[in-house]
Amino acid sequence: MLENIILGFATALTLENLAYCFAGVFLGTFIGVLPGLGSLAAISMLLPLSFYLEPTTALIMLAGIYYGGEYGGSIASILLNLPGTPSAAVTCLDGNPMAKQGRAGVALFITAIASFVGGSFGVIALMGFGPAIAQVGLGFGPGDYFALMLLGLVAAVTVGGGSVVKSMIMVVLGLLLGTVGTDVTSGEFRYTFGYLELRDGVSLVAIAMGLFGIAEVISSIRDAGKRKITEKVTMRGMIPTRDDMRKALGPMARGSSIGGFLGALPGAGTVIAAFLAYATEVRVAKDKSIFGKGAIQGVAAPESANNAAAQTAFIPTLTIGIPGSATMSIMLGALMIHGITPGPLLVSDHPTIFWGLIASFWIGNFFLLILNIPLIGLWVRVLQFPYKYIYPVVIALICIGVFSMRNSVFDVWLVVIFGALGYLLQRVGYSAAPLILGFVLGPMLEENLRRAMLLARGDPMRLIGDPLTGSILALSALMLIWAMLGGVRQLIRARRAARVPPGEA
Amino acid sequence: MNIVSLRLVVAAILAVIGAGAFAIALGYEFGSARRMGPGYFPVVLSAILTLLAISEMVSAAMKPEAMSIDWRPFFAILAAVVGFAVTMHLFGMIPAFFVVIGVATLSERRFGLLPAVILAIVTSAGAYLLFSRFLGMTMPLFQFGP
Repeated sequence: MLENIILGFATALTLENLAYCFAGVFLGTFIGVLPGLGSLAAISMLLPLSFYLEPTTALIMLAGIYYGGEYGGSIASILLNLPGTPSAAVTCLDGNPMAKQGRAGVALFITAIASFVGGSFGVIALMGFGPAIAQVGLGFGPGDYFALMLLGLVAAVTVGGGSVVKSMIMVVLGLLLGTVGTDVTSGEFRYTFGYLELRDGVSLVAIAMGLFGIAEVISSIRDAGKRKITEKVTMRGMIPTRDDMRKALGPMARGSSIGGFLGALPGAGTVIAAFLAYATEVRVAKDKSIFGKGAIQGVAAPESANNAAAQTAFIPTLTIGIPGSATMSIMLGALMIHGITPGPLLVSDHPTIFWGLIASFWIGNFFLLILNIPLIGLWVRVLQFPYKYIYPVVIALICIGVFSMRNSVFDVWLVVIFGALGYLLQRVGYSAAPLILGFVLGPMLEENLRRAMLLARGDPMRLIGDPLTGSILALSALMLIWAMLGGVRQLIRARRAARVPPGEA
Repeated sequence: MNIVSLRLVVAAILAVIGAGAFAIALGYEFGSARRMGPGYFPVVLSAILTLLAISEMVSAAMKPEAMSIDWRPFFAILAAVVGFAVTMHLFGMIPAFFVVIGVATLSERRFGLLPAVILAIVTSAGAYLLFSRFLGMTMPLFQFGP
């Protein structure tokens, strides 16, 4: 263990890796601060750059963007009442009232500290459980992998919130997009329509840029003019009272544990972690009336939870090779572009990647502490900068980024298609995250199912009969049925509540 | 409201995608459960997609909701990306940057020509330094003809 940690820090502390770690967390905070653009868009924008880097360096930078975004997202929540990233939405509830009471500085300080505590907790969990889970993963057969991936997809559909049918449509569309290209087993071209460019499959970057980058920019232009910051933030105003710190300690501890646990599960992710941590605080508090009026507990808990979840999300991605969220599936894509297959062997075969990344998390979290406390004034100014000078540049960078992947205009045309589709889908309440998850998992899901069915001689009962595979499949089925029934019940309730006269709806 | 709801239109688009994918997938070898052919997965998936999209169409038709699209930014941003694709192909990176930024600024009325030009110059210079100088990508800066 100790020698692994030393190896990790030796990898992460090279000048190049330090520089890219800093660049990652800096950019992540920047993107997180800007409402409308999430870390997913940022990671896919920088994915092409990572071709020019060593795999470890690339991953350190991309990961930095991800957890940096979790730090930055809360700044806009507190100052503008607009979440910079989805997981910071809960922080608005008490963070913005604190700012209105003139305590914006304290809220930002507590956010930074809570994020650091949560992040550290998550990294410790990753260090402790990661290698052990990889050991378990070594014993998995193709059937188990198939079942686990299916569980991940079902979790994305059922836990993610929103309409179950819409999420299922997105997952299936993602899986279908994943089949485009050369079939690994038979070598046949599927859905290539005669285009050479499609033989390697649809470009992940083009899909992600279209669905997240373009679609998010289009929908954020309308609200761009409404932002005004009135609160002044000074270093002196950030210092919390002793009472503030005392009140924030418990929520940080609870938030970190909730976030750390949920982050490692498929489908849950940072948004649900933050939400549940807040709900837990409301439940354990003696005086529930303080929430929504600037309670410091309501800032500390969700912020520690989403940062803990951001770190533990790497556990299933790196050690079993199954990403739990859309962002993680892009990380997985980044690794595969470099020819590294994440899975149980990653920890033993590529220790510099695994431990170097973990060491970089520690370094990155320290960078973020510096970026978010002494340099907070910089981010406030970023928020004041008019959005209209930012989005044209973002669009230009998306274009050049996609083009540079293969020096081909074809992928830019794909961005147009996915951008249009993504915006329309988003407008009517489809979430693009399950689509990305399905797209990345699709080819692996198919390959493992084919192998498992070959081993089972075409008898699905043998697959279900296997104790591990069968129980994971049963769990997925239960989750799906439960969610569907919930949906039906909701529909009936909505019908009754609306008292719609017959014939009108 | 008499106009067709956007939710219905989107669900219909998805159903058409599903049905189209199903029709194409029938042309691939299906195989058996034991030895799945290249068509097995696409056939099953596109069938599920079509059914789900149709059920979504039904529920959208039952409950019409008014939802609007910001057409101006929608077309401006997409046109900007199209403009980039065409200009990049024909004239190289720097002209493409001017086109993409110029067209993207059309998503707002009264953006102003001068800010757009300054933005394009700054971005092109930055992209030149980052991509061509720092990362050493070989991209045509200026060219004429594909």
